[in-house]
Amino acid sequence: MADQNRSEGVDRRQFLKVLGTTGAGAAVLGGCSTDRVAKLVPYMVQSEDQVPGIATWYASTCSECNSGCGLHVKTREGRPIKLEGNPEHPVNAGRLCSRGQAGLQALYNPDRLAGPMAKNAAGKWDEIKWDDAIARLAAKIGAAHGELAVINGYAASTFSTMLTKWTTALGGVITNFEPFSREAERLANQKTWGRTDLPVYDFAAAKYIVSFGADFLETWGSVVEQQRGFAASHGFHDGGMSRAVFVGPRMSLTAANADEWLNVPAGSETLVALAMAHVVATKHGHARAASLSAYAPEQVAGDTGLTAAQITVLAEAFAAAAPSLAVAGGVGAQHRGSIELCHAVNLLNEVAGNIGKTVTFGSAPAMSEGDGRIQPLFDRMAKGEFQVVLVHDANPLYTLPRSGKFAEAFAKVPFKVSTAAVLDETAAACDLILPNLHGLERWDDQNTRSGVTGMMQPVVEPVRGGMHTGDVLLKVAKVVGGAVASFNAPSFEAHLKGEWQKNIKAIDFATAMCEALGRGGIFAASTPNEQPRAAAGAVSYTKPTFDGAGDYVFMPYPSMLYHDGRGANKPWLLENPDPITKITWQSWVEVHPDTAAKLDVREGEIVELTSPHGKLRAQVYVYAGVRPDTLAMPLGLGHTEYGRYAKGRGVNPLDLLGAADGQGFLPYVATRVSVARTGDYQKVARVDGTPRQLGRGIIQSMPVAYAAKGMTPEESYKAAGRPTAETNTELERTAIEGWHEKQIAASQLGNYADAPHPKWGMAVDLSRCTGCSACVTACYAENNIPTVGEEQVFRRREMSWLRIERYWEGGTDGEPLQARFAPVMCQHCDNAPCEPVCPVYAAYHTPDGLNGQVYNRCVGTRYCSNNCPFKVRYFNWLKYNETAWPEPLNLQLNPDVVTRSRGVMEKCTFCIQRIRGAQHTARLEDRDVRDGEVVTACQQGCPSGAITFGNVKDAAAEVVQWKRDHRGYVMLEETNVRPAVTYLAKVLNIEPAAFHGAEEH
Amino acid sequence: MAVIAHDPSMPTQTHAEVTRDVIRTITEKPTRGYYILAGTMAFLTLVMFGTLGALLKYGLGLAGYSPPIMWSVYITTFVFWIGIGHAGTLISAILYLFRSRWRTAVYRSTEAMTVFAVMTAALFPIIHIGRQWLFYWLLPYPNQRYLWPNFKSPLIWDVFAISTYLTVSSTFLMVGLVPDIAAVRDHVSGWKKKLYGWLSLGWTGADSQWRHYTRAYLYLAALCTPLVLSVHSVVSWDFAMSIVPGWHGTIFAPYFVAGAIYSGVGMVMTLIIPLRKVLRIEHMITDYHFDNLAKLTLLTGSILFYAYAMEYFVAWYSGNPFEQMTFWRRAFGPNWWAGWSMIICNAFVSQLLWFPRIRTNLTALFVISVFINIGMWFERYVIVVGSLANDYLPYVWGQINPTWADWCILAGSFGWFGLWFTLFYKNFPIVAIQEIKEMIPMQRRSAAARGH
Repeated sequence: MADQNRSEGVDRRQFLKVLGTTGAGAAVLGGCSTDRVAKLVPYMVQSEDQVPGIATWYASTCSECNSGCGLHVKTREGRPIKLEGNPEHPVNAGRLCSRGQAGLQALYNPDRLAGPMAKNAAGKWDEIKWDDAIARLAAKIGAAHGELAVINGYAASTFSTMLTKWTTALGGVITNFEPFSREAERLANQKTWGRTDLPVYDFAAAKYIVSFGADFLETWGSVVEQQRGFAASHGFHDGGMSRAVFVGPRMSLTAANADEWLNVPAGSETLVALAMAHVVATKHGHARAASLSAYAPEQVAGDTGLTAAQITVLAEAFAAAAPSLAVAGGVGAQHRGSIELCHAVNLLNEVAGNIGKTVTFGSAPAMSEGDGRIQPLFDRMAKGEFQVVLVHDANPLYTLPRSGKFAEAFAKVPFKVSTAAVLDETAAACDLILPNLHGLERWDDQNTRSGVTGMMQPVVEPVRGGMHTGDVLLKVAKVVGGAVASFNAPSFEAHLKGEWQKNIKAIDFATAMCEALGRGGIFAASTPNEQPRAAAGAVSYTKPTFDGAGDYVFMPYPSMLYHDGRGANKPWLLENPDPITKITWQSWVEVHPDTAAKLDVREGEIVELTSPHGKLRAQVYVYAGVRPDTLAMPLGLGHTEYGRYAKGRGVNPLDLLGAADGQGFLPYVATRVSVARTGDYQKVARVDGTPRQLGRGIIQSMPVAYAAKGMTPEESYKAAGRPTAETNTELERTAIEGWHEKQIAASQLGNYADAPHPKWGMAVDLSRCTGCSACVTACYAENNIPTVGEEQVFRRREMSWLRIERYWEGGTDGEPLQARFAPVMCQHCDNAPCEPVCPVYAAYHTPDGLNGQVYNRCVGTRYCSNNCPFKVRYFNWLKYNETAWPEPLNLQLNPDVVTRSRGVMEKCTFCIQRIRGAQHTARLEDRDVRDGEVVTACQQGCPSGAITFGNVKDAAAEVVQWKRDHRGYVMLEETNVRPAVTYLAKVLNIEPAAFHGAEEH
Repeated sequence: MAVIAHDPSMPTQTHAEVTRDVIRTITEKPTRGYYILAGTMAFLTLVMFGTLGALLKYGLGLAGYSPPIMWSVYITTFVFWIGIGHAGTLISAILYLFRSRWRTAVYRSTEAMTVFAVMTAALFPIIHIGRQWLFYWLLPYPNQRYLWPNFKSPLIWDVFAISTYLTVSSTFLMVGLVPDIAAVRDHVSGWKKKLYGWLSLGWTGADSQWRHYTRAYLYLAALCTPLVLSVHSVVSWDFAMSIVPGWHGTIFAPYFVAGAIYSGVGMVMTLIIPLRKVLRIEHMITDYHFDNLAKLTLLTGSILFYAYAMEYFVAWYSGNPFEQMTFWRRAFGPNWWAGWSMIICNAFVSQLLWFPRIRTNLTALFVISVFINIGMWFERYVIVVGSLANDYLPYVWGQINPTWADWCILAGSFGWFGLWFTLFYKNFPIVAIQEIKEMIPMQRRSAAARGH
């Protein structure tokens, strides 16, 4: 065993071996492995020598959710150090969300199992050898005589196809299960159009977007793609933008980015959709009009809390803006009437003429079945119908409500096997664990949708002792023989490549495959667009029922960071604050201020929620973005296993839910709860201080009508009747005339104003920024920022060089609640207040306009931070660099960036390592750095494309164009620090009359 | 005439009595109480250095820092001690130049207090920085890396201000001690005689020595005088030179100097009211002296009152919303208790000293002086912490929650200061023998002249 451990862990020798075999060359993209894992040949053009210090990039596919985004994996000296989006990939076009980027922490997770483990009679885990493990599994499967159940996660891959065939050949049953399934939508599509596949939504083309509970910027659907599309249409461009409306009981991040949030009770979204469809169908004289006749706005408005006029105006605007787009679904709208809701929204899209325009069929995104079939499977387990159960890529004992007695049913199976790489709840209940390789360690693929096959190749030697589950299946087949004797490929890799060969159909398959691997997959040139035939699904509305008689509707919603819980073991995601509540590392219950007053609870107070299915205790977060009759809670925490970061952290709201009720999906929003105070308090790990701008104009905005006129934010505030900061009298103005210019001239002294260097600057378009925080994760990954943990966050010592500031506007006195988001990083001021106060010149100005920070020189007086009006400097209070990266997490560190020890100040460097890298490349090629060549990590990761960076002395640079935009402003201009970051004011698609400009006075 | 009897600035004793009474405080065997006091102080000192060791090992994060409040209890305490260190020099140097008689009885103790307070304060810039072992990088010493400190930084000015002040005030104290040490030397025997003999630098009391000595003393007094004003001005610029709302004020230098003297006089009273009882020198430090100290307190306290009011006025009049918010929150924000502690203890309590009966009631004065100490610590806390807690971006506003590491260093600083002071008063003349004596013949001569 010792030998095995040695050969499968990553020690220095192993490392060098990988180094030797991977080789390196000019950092060309498109590494491609053509041979066994042990002999990676990553380059099409082979180099003579390994060049340490030069990154090698491989294309792969993300497996953190089922969207199938393409990856570019940056590897240095044989180890992946950063995941970025693949620009050629049709789904994500070079962008990546926080979860995808944190996939690296799944690869290097310190809790990954070192090898196969078997539970002994005492219930303890024994480490065993692979041969032994496979022999045990084969023996049990051989003896099971077809009484085999397989639960598989991601369904649409060559592996899953093989697993299905393998299971069927053995006489077993396989269920593909994903917790956040879109079963309700499929069933609704069956009702509307007689087909169960899902469409692809084109947010970029939509001019009017209405979401009925679908969190399309968070977890519903292909979020990176949707965010990209949303930014393209809803970002201010060419004098206009789309309008977005969110209908649902809670203001999610998606709702916070909409121009209007219609706060309706859970379940009544359907009525709004039907009423809208009624108005539009009547207007267009659509054939469906008759079936909608019972749902005129006047008839249904009462139950929604909206007025009929509101719905009519909404519907008419929706109809007028062609193409428009309505979406529904997701956990937040998954109540018992979810099928009716999705059906109603389908009709709305149909009557508005969106089918084939913004809603296209024919390239169904890959989805697994969800709860529809998992429930019967567990029922059969409970009856003892299975001898063996194999769980792959799923954690049903965590993601299904405890009240469903799934664990009890699972325990009835005599032999349970998991392929989890980390001991999760399901694996802990198993008898044998055969840890699978991580997606970056194995050959695999994902048939994301028709025409898009994402390929995965090993880009690193296995970090821990896993084995590809495909190989396990083949080895078991060899031992068991008989019905599965046909599974005789020498390895899963060989099988996979055989399947690819059928798909690629090239004469020189090896070269074609290399090319495909370099691109990241096989992408068809065009996407199909099928016109669905209308089916006569009856229009109906039944008021959804709720279990229990509590006073409040309980609404669990998926956390955009933890997703179905799989993100909970990654410190990057745990420390990245929730975009809405800005809470890290914790669970919470969202309570409306009025409800909080009624219950007499305050933030941080622990309350006990009781439903007919269970009870839990969690801390209160008072949030005006949830209906007073609703309590909301994020999913994803509350693990009882799943490694050191997840175990025992937070609360799992599923404990309050009932199991699936036969419709085919888990009704998440189907419970009423009662609340009891406990008198206990919990410190809230919030990173926001005061969530109001106090009229300081930090995140500025303007209505679209003013933006279209080319107004500056100041002009817009004036037009809105806001007294601006300019309150000086005539006399005072004369007195200070020329003062500002003199100040600027003085500040140029010693600032290299006329030097031949470039001067780096950044611009952020707040009309595109959604606050999703992908840039924050990118920054952590690029700059080796340590995570500090919950205890340190209590003291606000998080080190995020880049933070998303979130301010609330309105929400009181009948004003609608609105959110403002802006990334705030070091502003690299020309007239930086941090520099003169440093006694040892650790903070200084570089010739290219950056605020340098010399860690080695810093003695830690922290005066620079006191004097920084943006408070973007972060101090190493303790030895975070010794605790943040337990092995092998340290392998994720970027070798181009030093780690900082305690006692020194650190901050955003504008990714100086990337600037210098681009400058070195340019110099080698004897040219200037081109515009767009330096891409900061935050800019690279941003799914909305809200950030641009470049040399402000280059008049043609994109950053200069952005900075010249009429919407441009700098934060805290009155301090005269002259930041290098320009923000373009957010544009609100609201009537100017509704714009008060309260953020500035 | 009854001038002699009624002029309370005149000592009532003879030369021999003065020498006897003062030397007695040194030669008497220390009581048990003394050992307990010194032991407590030594223990607190150990606590401070132990905490410092922990900070060195684990990092400053052991203290309750919470961004955006990057300076908190340590800097508060630093300014507190530096402020304490101002009254001594004011009383010994400036009042000396002004020929103010009442200083004679109290100046030695205040001067000792000054030196020890500055010694205490000087520890804090080192304790509070992130990499304490590199504090010498703030000194302009020649080095192979050609690295020089940034003379634009107020922290560098601070280094110079404190080191100059420490040097000059300790020299002043030691020079003033020379004739008195010689007097002690003549009353002790054995190794002590040797030690005091060495410390008295060969003082014989010859006329030539006296002539040189008084010139030197005058010169040092003149050197100290501007430092009283400059040092705390420089310390105030640590804050005033920044752009933090609540710090960035032109009023800061005079405001800090007045506060420093106020707090220093307060601490003097806290120290000598019990001390004169313990050392049984009530007849040397009398109500008259306290009355004058109290008047000084009243003056500086009133200046502070004015400064507090003026800060609010400026915040309002500037029209600067950041400044206004800081001052609004100072009174009504989460740290309101600190803000009101400061205003009540400093501005209001000092106004009680308008009443002569309170000025001569030592119990009342002692209580008031303790309030002054508390109030002045809170003043610095309000300025340092309260201003950092809410500056420009509300999103990053925060509060601190001090930990054991903060309180141990704070308590330890009192131990460190107290240990030095305790050792001093038991081993050196706490009242200036020679100056008191000087006043007796003057008195008699003038009395005789007037009387006849």
